[in-house]
Amino acid sequence: MSITLDFNGKNLAKSKTLDLHYLPAKIDGDGEANVEQYFNNYTREATDYGSGVFTNALRGYPLMGQRLKVPEGFKGLVLQETEKPLSESSDRQLRLTGVFEEFTYWNYDKVPSNGDAYRQALIMSDVAQALAQPINEQDLEAEIARNKENTKTSP
Amino acid sequence: MSKKTTRGSKPKPDPDAEAAGKKSTATALKKVLFVAEKALPQDKDEQKLRLERFFHPGQNKEALFMTHDNVQIMELLEYAEPRRSWLVNSEVCSNGKIYMTAPLDPTLLAVHHLRKHCGQRAMSLDNIAVDEPSTSRLLNEIINPDSLKCVADVKKSGDLSFYKFNQERTLAWLALKTRQVVGVLKEKNVHCGHSAQSQNFVRSEKLAAETASTNEMDYTRMACDIVGRYLDSDLHEKLTSYLHITSEIQAIVEEKAASQKRKSKAGQEGGGETKKIKLNDNDASAKLKSSGLVDSDTDHNTSITSPTAAPPLKERSLTAKEKALAKGAKGTKSIASFFKVK
Repeated sequence: MSITLDFNGKNLAKSKTLDLHYLPAKIDGDGEANVEQYFNNYTREATDYGSGVFTNALRGYPLMGQRLKVPEGFKGLVLQETEKPLSESSDRQLRLTGVFEEFTYWNYDKVPSNGDAYRQALIMSDVAQALAQPINEQDLEAEIARNKENTKTSP
Repeated sequence: MSKKTTRGSKPKPDPDAEAAGKKSTATALKKVLFVAEKALPQDKDEQKLRLERFFHPGQNKEALFMTHDNVQIMELLEYAEPRRSWLVNSEVCSNGKIYMTAPLDPTLLAVHHLRKHCGQRAMSLDNIAVDEPSTSRLLNEIINPDSLKCVADVKKSGDLSFYKFNQERTLAWLALKTRQVVGVLKEKNVHCGHSAQSQNFVRSEKLAAETASTNEMDYTRMACDIVGRYLDSDLHEKLTSYLHITSEIQAIVEEKAASQKRKSKAGQEGGGETKKIKLNDNDASAKLKSSGLVDSDTDHNTSITSPTAAPPLKERSLTAKEKALAKGAKGTKSIASFFKVK
């Protein structure tokens, strides 16, 4: 079984840019909502908390947000599955809905900071990069030799 | 009258509910991804990205990986918080996860298969796991055979290459990988101790310098755990002993002992104040408690003995003023005498 991301370079270049909000709430449901009128309309810049901090509210709960760029070297994509798979083992396809470079990150009643789980999770990407870095063969030989030395001298 | 009420309570078809039902079938779940730019198909590239399942040794089951053009393979990480969702343009998306690609050395995935099949004898890659399509695809189409030199002995005969798993090389290779990870953790100032620390507090430079020297082992342990996520558990254990990493519990005990030593030193310099000694005592019992060397019964004993040890200190600390008071009080009736049982 494999899943194909059904787009090529051309589709990607032509795709529309989306406006995304990352909300700190679980919403049970998908579908249309009047975001422009009832949400975006109430976004205010709150300079008291620093530059680039926005405030809004969701059902009366205060939100504090910030425009964030997609991490460097990455592109944000939104994909959608148009056809439900007939069975578990059948091949599936995901269609491209749009792309984004920036999104608004919202916290519930807290100014976004480096303490947010989201920002800390991004460190993992650098860690993975380091882990994937290939090892030079000379270094490997040196390490093997060094380890042999150590085991000889220690007992 | 009664007829009217029944008519009124008749459930009306809710237009909203019907519309919502229709919509949820029309708009299937959306997914938000961060995909590495260099992996995305370029302008004239007709190749499409694929998500495939390969065996993930750390999770001991298959996991999704993103492949492109049979050359690149990336891990698909999932970032999820308990309560998150997206607004995409004018739509609500209940799936509040972010799927993120992370670079991956496919050799890590191959190690599991080489250990399993080529531990005793050398085999050519197309003979390994012929009955598992995803494994043979990984070994034959995705992995660069040259990279396997780091974890296996390669024997060539004519055009054919045979691979035999080499544990010594693998461990050395993994140790170097771990060191690379340590480098990044240090660079990013990731806190690696066993105790949690808030990012909100600004640490003083003095403290930072002090911890930097002591927690080299903490960094290595964390890095080793990260590398271990891609390994079979027994291989992870071997790597841990190869790197001479002490277990975390032992580290906690050692650190407590070290801090106690520091404190008692400071106490001697300060002229041995009674308060400091007392603190030390508490610390020792806390250490014993945390180390699990003492079970709760004996722990209880130590807490009883510490107050009995305190009185002699109290006597010593009688000041001149108190002595004068005691002198003045001589001959007068003690207040306690009024409350004696007759």
